[in-house]
Amino acid sequence: MPLDKLVCGFLETTVNKLQQLDSSALQRRKQLNGTIIGVALKEINKPLYFVISTQQIDILSEYEGQADCFIRLNISALKELQNNHQLTHLIKTEQLEVEGDIQIVQRFARLLTEMDIDWEEHLSVIIGDILAHKLYYEFKQCRKNASLQIKKIEKQSGEYITEELKIAPGPLEVVYFCEQVNDIKKQVDALEKRLQQGFASSNKLTRNIR
Amino acid sequence: MSNQSENTTHFGFKTVQEDTKADLVADVFHSVAAKYDVMNDVLSMGVHRVWKRFTIDCSGIRKGQKVLDLAGGTGDLTAKFSRIVGQTGQVTLADINDSMLKVGRSKLRDLGIVGNVSYVQANAEELPFPDNHFDLITIAFGLRNVTDKDKALASMYRVLKPGGRLLVLEFSKPLYKPLSKFYDFYSFNVLPKLGKLIANDSESYQYLAESIRMHPCQETLKEMMNSANFEGSEYFNLSGGIVALHRGYKY
Ligand SMILES: C[S@@+](CC[C@H](N)C(=O)[O-])C[C@H]1O[C@@H](n2cnc3c(N)ncnc32)[C@H](O)[C@@H]1O
Repeated sequence: MPLDKLVCGFLETTVNKLQQLDSSALQRRKQLNGTIIGVALKEINKPLYFVISTQQIDILSEYEGQADCFIRLNISALKELQNNHQLTHLIKTEQLEVEGDIQIVQRFARLLTEMDIDWEEHLSVIIGDILAHKLYYEFKQCRKNASLQIKKIEKQSGEYITEELKIAPGPLEVVYFCEQVNDIKKQVDALEKRLQQGFASSNKLTRNIR
Repeated sequence: MSNQSENTTHFGFKTVQEDTKADLVADVFHSVAAKYDVMNDVLSMGVHRVWKRFTIDCSGIRKGQKVLDLAGGTGDLTAKFSRIVGQTGQVTLADINDSMLKVGRSKLRDLGIVGNVSYVQANAEELPFPDNHFDLITIAFGLRNVTDKDKALASMYRVLKPGGRLLVLEFSKPLYKPLSKFYDFYSFNVLPKLGKLIANDSESYQYLAESIRMHPCQETLKEMMNSANFEGSEYFNLSGGIVALHRGYKY
């Protein structure tokens, strides 16, 4: 199967490129040096083996020995791995199965997800300090603008729905509506009281007649 | 051919005295050693990495095992094996050529690979290791350069542990006509030119192209492995048979 070799090769190159950019990765790999971790996605059922050494991470599609730790998980659980507190939750809900030391899994998840990459720094090696700073600044500005825009859009579409379409009520309308509901509730309570009093006295009456 | 087989052998398409082939091969690799890795990537368009990955996957290598990377050159396979077998394992990089060994050693050092790798200058025909010593022997793109291949196979069999495996990764015979036409054109016209351009050495790459053609085809090599007592011998064609991986066991 040359395809899975290609996939493995591609994955390995990508992962190690990221590892090289991450200033804390070496320290994390040291903690796991010499560990072999098998990972299988339940949906695909084709395990990959991660061989971790101080030099790099090697990814194999076959390993005939016993891995130090083997995990099986749902694709949807991949995202949650970042969050180390989630691990026990994932295990409880059977989205993640672990054979071996849970601490290894925690370290491994941290190695792959908590990357500390200074993009500006790396960019500057390629294109020079000033340009990198500018680009990175622009990028951050873009991102800020984008999130501002998104908030604005959210607000505007909210207004549009309430004012123009009248699908949803505005805040004052809601308060007014609630007050009306309260009034009615009071009136209903009063009515109920009076009704009960009425019943009570009519009961007395009928008993006296007999 | 039989009348010359006593003491002559092939050096590419030329027929030379057996005792001079080793020297000629040595000259080739002395001259390409420095540029070897770059040339590998350029000439195979990076595909040699996939071939080597396939080899690793077929090796059954495990933590703590002993590996011999024979004709290991600049040590691509050694690097991977070293990480997989870990500190409890042992990898031996053996090559007949000390220029290649030197390049290999400094490359691996730079990669931070130390501790479980040893470097040995050795001829595949007479391996200087005890009997039943290695769990795995690989020889990648090396066997075609060896003068007496049967002798080399027998020597590998001797140093392999019972239960161990031999993997031979080598150029072979393309399965399809059009592919082999293109391949011929590539190796005799493009390859030496690229060799000239990048390593300023067209002759070595002319030799490469010729030695590939003279190498035994898939079935013949399998037979040779069987005659050297290997069992369960089989091969996998890669890239349409341009390369084949042969695997045999010693029981
Ligand atoms: C094409 S290189 C392969 C290097 C490496 N295995 C790779 O795949 O990149 C072939 C190597 O075989 C070595 N070689 C040639 N004849 C040999 C022999 N008789 N014994 C051991 N090594 C030999 C050469 O010195 C050279 O380094």
